[in-house]
Amino acid sequence: MAKARILVVEDDDKQRQLYCEELIAAGYETLEARNASEAEELLNREQIDLIILDINMPGVSGLELLPRIHELHPGMPVIIHTAYGSYRDDFISWLADMFIVKSPDAGNLIEAVEDLLSRQREKKFQREVKQEP
Amino acid sequence: MRQQGVLEQTLAMILAGGVGERLYPLTKVKAKPAVPFGGIYRIIDFTLSNCLHSGIRRIFVLTQHKSLPLDRHLWLGWSSLFRTELGEFLATVPPQQRLVREWYRGTADAVFQNIDLLSHERPKFVLILAGDHVYRMDYRAMLQFHLSKNAEVTIACTTVPIKDASRFGVMEVDENDKIIGFEEKPQKPKSLPNDPSHSLISMGIYLFNTETLVRAVIQDAKRTDSDHDFGKNVIPSLVQQGAQVFAFNIRKELPPLFHYWQDIGTLDSYYDAHMELVSPNPSFPLHDDEWTIRTYLPPLPPAVLKGDAVTRYCVVSPGCVIEEGAIVEHSILSPGVYIGKGAVVRRSILLHRVRVSEGCHLEKVIVDEDVTIPQGEQIGVDLERDRKRFTVTERGVVIVPVGVAF
Repeated sequence: MAKARILVVEDDDKQRQLYCEELIAAGYETLEARNASEAEELLNREQIDLIILDINMPGVSGLELLPRIHELHPGMPVIIHTAYGSYRDDFISWLADMFIVKSPDAGNLIEAVEDLLSRQREKKFQREVKQEP
Repeated sequence: MRQQGVLEQTLAMILAGGVGERLYPLTKVKAKPAVPFGGIYRIIDFTLSNCLHSGIRRIFVLTQHKSLPLDRHLWLGWSSLFRTELGEFLATVPPQQRLVREWYRGTADAVFQNIDLLSHERPKFVLILAGDHVYRMDYRAMLQFHLSKNAEVTIACTTVPIKDASRFGVMEVDENDKIIGFEEKPQKPKSLPNDPSHSLISMGIYLFNTETLVRAVIQDAKRTDSDHDFGKNVIPSLVQQGAQVFAFNIRKELPPLFHYWQDIGTLDSYYDAHMELVSPNPSFPLHDDEWTIRTYLPPLPPAVLKGDAVTRYCVVSPGCVIEEGAIVEHSILSPGVYIGKGAVVRRSILLHRVRVSEGCHLEKVIVDEDVTIPQGEQIGVDLERDRKRFTVTERGVVIVPVGVAF
């Protein structure tokens, strides 16, 4: 099976690299975007299976990019990954499939990615089963 | 800070963005909620009056097409009743295209596209209302019902004879009023458990717990196979998922004053609702001190009937003049209508400032605002001729549109 491709949208270089390393170690392929416009460009060009999205970024924030992702790719799995739990109060954040508050170790992020991707596979399987005559 | 009451925790969103296609040409220049009704009112006045009487003081009106006349009416007649100092407001919201770069794709999408308003206001309950219904309703009773059932969603319902139910969303309920089935416009409508001759239909009025609403419209927005409509998509999907959705049957829960409900969907239903108003015993009396309907009226002189002018079973608004020799029967005259000498007007609706010149004869006609009917003109008498120049409904009502020249 091909490796799942994860787009990491994160303005902090060190954090982004750390997450990517962890994701690669867990068997995923990664794509990186430092801001919303880079993310949108990659979304238009690349095959992507899941997005990890920071909120607080210079320029267009993750919460502004989120509806755009939803518009360009309805059903694209998105994990919000932010240092601020209070962003949950903004209902736009509910557009994401998961909301994770950053922690020093990326363990829970990797778990969330695995969990969400397996849910996606399950959904896809259900759809295919339904479509079979 | 004082504990907020249930009403202060409730916010209303009035959906006023439809194209109003089936009411065309009355919606030629204005959104359906701004179409006049009952002489002095605009259709949205009924829903707003209900909010006012029920103590709902935070209201968003989601507008879209041809919204200027509606905005103007709300600004003139309603905005000053809400005190921003107390956290009250009546705000019209055109599509912001913040979440989607499109117009509203359905009723649920209109709410989805405005979820940021809910983030900002943080109500506990959201009432989703239509801007094109004529009815009296005490939303407080619906809220009480919602709380007593521990509901996530409560849908206002009424009953209709089973033969008429196919036009509506039909509910199937258990003995506790929980909705266990929902079909939009079914060919074979289900009847009430205890009354095989009637069906329970949705009035398109929903009370949601805010979080349930937000989850439901987001889930719906992500579906590519959805029409993004509450009745067609969101409610059936919630019922299917086993959500706590309850039916608030107005005929069971509210006194008779509140039993009338009319969705002004078509020209014929618009016409019929008016003829009902001028029937000997209207089931929706406009005169009711307990639940008055508010509107905006410009300062106008009183209506004047001159000489031997005759009116029978009419609504005559301020500013009207009926000249001598004129006969007006079973008709609705909006403010500032002028009826010339010897004119005959029967079973007709004349909207604001219509001028019917001397010797005209109108039968079963709706004349839109500011139209002047020239001297001696006959409309509604020869339908063959009328079909060549106007819209004539299936049931033979002639519509003379705004801006027409003779």
